Parts: sequence; structure tokens; C-alpha cells
Amino acid sequence: MSTLLAIGAGIAVFTGVGAGIGIGVATSKAAEAIARQPEAESKIMKILMLGCALAEATAIYGFVIALLIIIFLK
Amino acid sequence: MEELNCETAFTIPIFGGIDVGESVVVSWIIMAVLVLLSIVLTRNLKVENPGKGQLLLEMAVGGLHGMVNGMVGEKGKRYVPYLMTVLVYIGFANVIGLFGFKPPTKDLTVTIALAGMSIVLIEFAGIREKGTKKWLKSFAEPVAIMTPFNILEILIKPLSLCMRLFGNVLGAFVIMELIKIMVPIALPVPFSLYFDIFDGLIQAYVFVFLTSLFIKEAIE
Repeated sequence: MSTLLAIGAGIAVFTGVGAGIGIGVATSKAAEAIARQPEAESKIMKILMLGCALAEATAIYGFVIALLIIIFLK
Repeated sequence: MEELNCETAFTIPIFGGIDVGESVVVSWIIMAVLVLLSIVLTRNLKVENPGKGQLLLEMAVGGLHGMVNGMVGEKGKRYVPYLMTVLVYIGFANVIGLFGFKPPTKDLTVTIALAGMSIVLIEFAGIREKGTKKWLKSFAEPVAIMTPFNILEILIKPLSLCMRLFGNVLGAFVIMELIKIMVPIALPVPFSLYFDIFDGLIQAYVFVFLTSLFIKEAIE
């Protein structure tokens, strides 16, 4: 039973893949945008922050679900 | 695994015992520190010949005010003090792990309360700006078929706000505890800089940023 729980928690944490790809793409685009228009850096950073926070949320949800699986199904 | 639990600090012996959680006590400590700092720092303020401390204070408060004001927009000016208070509180709460306390935002109940306050403020701002009728109508925009999704959004917004804050702080806390168990000397310092200070402040900023974004959306 505990093995299955561990596997389930591991699968839940796989949501991190999506967040990683998303933040990577966002950051690369932000670097391009700043290289093109260095004067707009503060605005770009603000939007990048927001985008990263939203993309990161999916990974966090996965982590929370994994914890819930371990704590409540034990 | 014991570090994950939110322990009860003490019990008030009325109504069959009310449990007071550790996060509440740490919150009280943060509140006491912030109130004391506010009282001490705002004493002896002068219009002419301000001292160095006053200049620094003015710079910090002015910077925070400008930042939040830029996020919430000109119309939402009246919500700036509340948002600044929440920003300072969450910032302190996330960083307090450095002093050996458990961060109160690690407790799900604290973040649920914060997110609940946020969603009430957001809807209140919408009602105040548009009037009750127009606010009710705004649920059927842009087309009537979107109504159930718009109503669901009232639940989803605070859920994502509280889960984001809780998950981030708890994740950082767990990783720090694991590092401290594996290598107790020297290695935790750079990680603590990132997880405790940088990540904590970013999350406080993100929480306030999203709340002000929703408020801006509601009053437009």
C-alpha cells in the first residue's frame, strides 16, 4: 500500500515538467524582448514575474496534491 | 515528517477549550513587532531638517506606495493602504523562518484567511464601483453562457491564491529542513538566502500583485 502511495505522489509531482517548460519559454522570450528593447526592461520584468508566478502555480498544485496523498491516505 | 504538522501552542480553557495554533502565536509576534516598529519609527517626525532615519523611512514607504499604486491603478487608490499592509505582513511572515520560528504562512488556515479577505475585498470593490445591479449583470458577460464559469471564478481565485502561497512556503520549508538534516554546516546558508528571503518576498509580491490585478479588473 505504501509503495502505491509513494508512486502516486511521485506521479503528482510530474506536473513540475509543465511549469519548467513554461517558465523556460517565458524567460527566453523575456531575454529576447529586453535585448530588442532595453528601455522597456522594468515593464517586461513585471510581466515576466506574473507569468512565472502563474506558470509555477501548476507545479505547486502538484506538490500540494502529493503531500495530501501522503498525509491523508496513509 | 513532524516538521510538517501545525502544532497547537496552548488551549484557552473556555467553551470546552479553544485551540490556539502556533501560527497564530507567531502572527501575534509579527503584529507586535510591526506595531512597535511603526510607533517607534514615526515618533519625532519633522517637516524641516528631517533626520537620516526619517529620510530612509520616507523612501521605503514612498517606494512601497508607488509600487502598489502602480499595480492597482488610479481608480483603486483607496485600497492601497490595505494592500501595503498585507504585503508587509506576508513579507515578514515568510522571512521569519530565518529567526527560528515556523512561518505562519506554512499553515493552510492562515493563507485561507488571507485569500478570503482578498476575495471579499475584490467583490466589495466591484459592488462599490458598479452598484449591485451592474455587478450582478457583470456575471453574464461577455455572453450569458459564461455565467457558471464566472460564478466558479469566485471560488477558484481565492483557492489558487491560498494554495500558491501555502505550497511555495511549505515547499521551501521542507527543502530547507532536508538540507539541514543532510549537511548542517555552511551549505544551508546560500539555500536559505534563496528559499527564505528571495522566494518569500517574491511570493508576498505575487500575492499582492494578483489581488490588485483582480481588484483592477473588478472596478473597470
